[in-house]
Amino acid sequence: MTKKKKLDFVDILCLILAFAPYLFCMILKILTEPQTEGLSITGARIYWTVHMPIQDLPITESQIVSWATILFVFGMALFLTRKMRVRRPTVRQHIAELIVEKIDDLVCGNMGSRFNNYTPYIMGLLFLSVFSSLSCLLGLRSPTADINIIAGWSILTFALMIYQKFRAGGLVFCKKISEPMVPFTPLNIIGDIAVPVAITFRHYGNILSGAVITTLVGTALSGLSHMILHGLPGWLGYIPFLRIGIPAFMSLYFDLFSGLVQAYIFSLLTMMNVSGSFPEAEYEEKKAKKLARREARIAAREAQAHAA
Amino acid sequence: MIQTLEVISLNLWQVIISLIDLLIIFLLLKKFLYKPVKKLLAKREAQVNSIYSKAEAARAAAEADKATYHEKLSYAQEEAKDIIKSAQASATRISNTLISDANEEVAAMRQKAEADIALEKQKATNEVKTLISDLSLNIAEKMLGREINSDDQSALIDQFIKDIGDGND
Repeated sequence: MTKKKKLDFVDILCLILAFAPYLFCMILKILTEPQTEGLSITGARIYWTVHMPIQDLPITESQIVSWATILFVFGMALFLTRKMRVRRPTVRQHIAELIVEKIDDLVCGNMGSRFNNYTPYIMGLLFLSVFSSLSCLLGLRSPTADINIIAGWSILTFALMIYQKFRAGGLVFCKKISEPMVPFTPLNIIGDIAVPVAITFRHYGNILSGAVITTLVGTALSGLSHMILHGLPGWLGYIPFLRIGIPAFMSLYFDLFSGLVQAYIFSLLTMMNVSGSFPEAEYEEKKAKKLARREARIAAREAQAHAA
Repeated sequence: MIQTLEVISLNLWQVIISLIDLLIIFLLLKKFLYKPVKKLLAKREAQVNSIYSKAEAARAAAEADKATYHEKLSYAQEEAKDIIKSAQASATRISNTLISDANEEVAAMRQKAEADIALEKQKATNEVKTLISDLSLNIAEKMLGREINSDDQSALIDQFIKDIGDGND
């Protein structure tokens, strides 16, 4: 038995692919740190602007951090699935298997086993959300605190919902949307549109409010320590000693816990809404119909063969 | 001076880019994490199943072997018992014949010995008879101081010994 296996060159490349983008984001942020005093609650920083037809596209910090997150997840996926073996799996492989199996269980448990091809999508949603939210631990601004990012995700959820509703058949869709009576159709449409809006604001609002509260508390603690140290001369009166430690506990809740929980809730709501758009009963009905049609076709073919 | 967005500001292109981001990460994870791991799990399951079926077959074969061994063993034991029994029987038979042969031989030897003894006895008796007749002749010669007719003498002694022998019998 050899000693602990060292990382080879490709492993290191994967890890660099995973972590270098974050490093790049941090450097970019530090280089563009504005010299401002006091409290300012703003959106994401705009690094440069691209002129586009309808609306200019500002390349913001949120965008860049979410790209970094994609690269991070990609690099980690490559790193974890390298050198997989059927027998005696490595620790990395155990982690990869654990992730896939857990998320598979989560998806099958919440959506039913007929939706098990949604596992990679939910995986992507979860990882993007979790690592975007956790990137604020590196001093970056969470992309999830930007409404545009979350809006894109929930539009995709909405599209999947509509697609699943249509899978049962156009007629069933029309009947379902005009339940219980035809005049209720607009209400049903609004109800459907409310879903992506609601999940967008839930996720984005939670993360943003966490960031805002953290900023406010930090500023307040600075002010408070200045008030206490008022008598000291010069810069000594400006030491924000109350900001040591206390914001860490706030961050534990608002960044770590809230980020993880909101990612989970967003994926859960996506799963619920998408699977709820195509209930099991309809699925079974459609399957039975399909089976009946196929049997009819086979019977017809056999009859033809007999005739010939 | 670096610019920032408003806290709440919707931008169509950003929304679209984020949507595409999600699609990209979905495809990447599907290609590089989900499919390889699923493939591996399926492979492992197939391997485990084949190992199980092989083990099952091996166990069945071993059970069959065991049954045949048991059968053979019991057969061999019976055979051994038979062999021992027949060996014992033949041994008894042989010993019996040996003993009876020995007995017969002994009896024959004894008869022969007895016959020999009788012969020897007869011989000895005859010898003793001659010896005594010679002796008594000598004695009588000396006592009488005269020579008797040899024929008369022999007849006389024979008569005498016969008398003694008769008396003895």
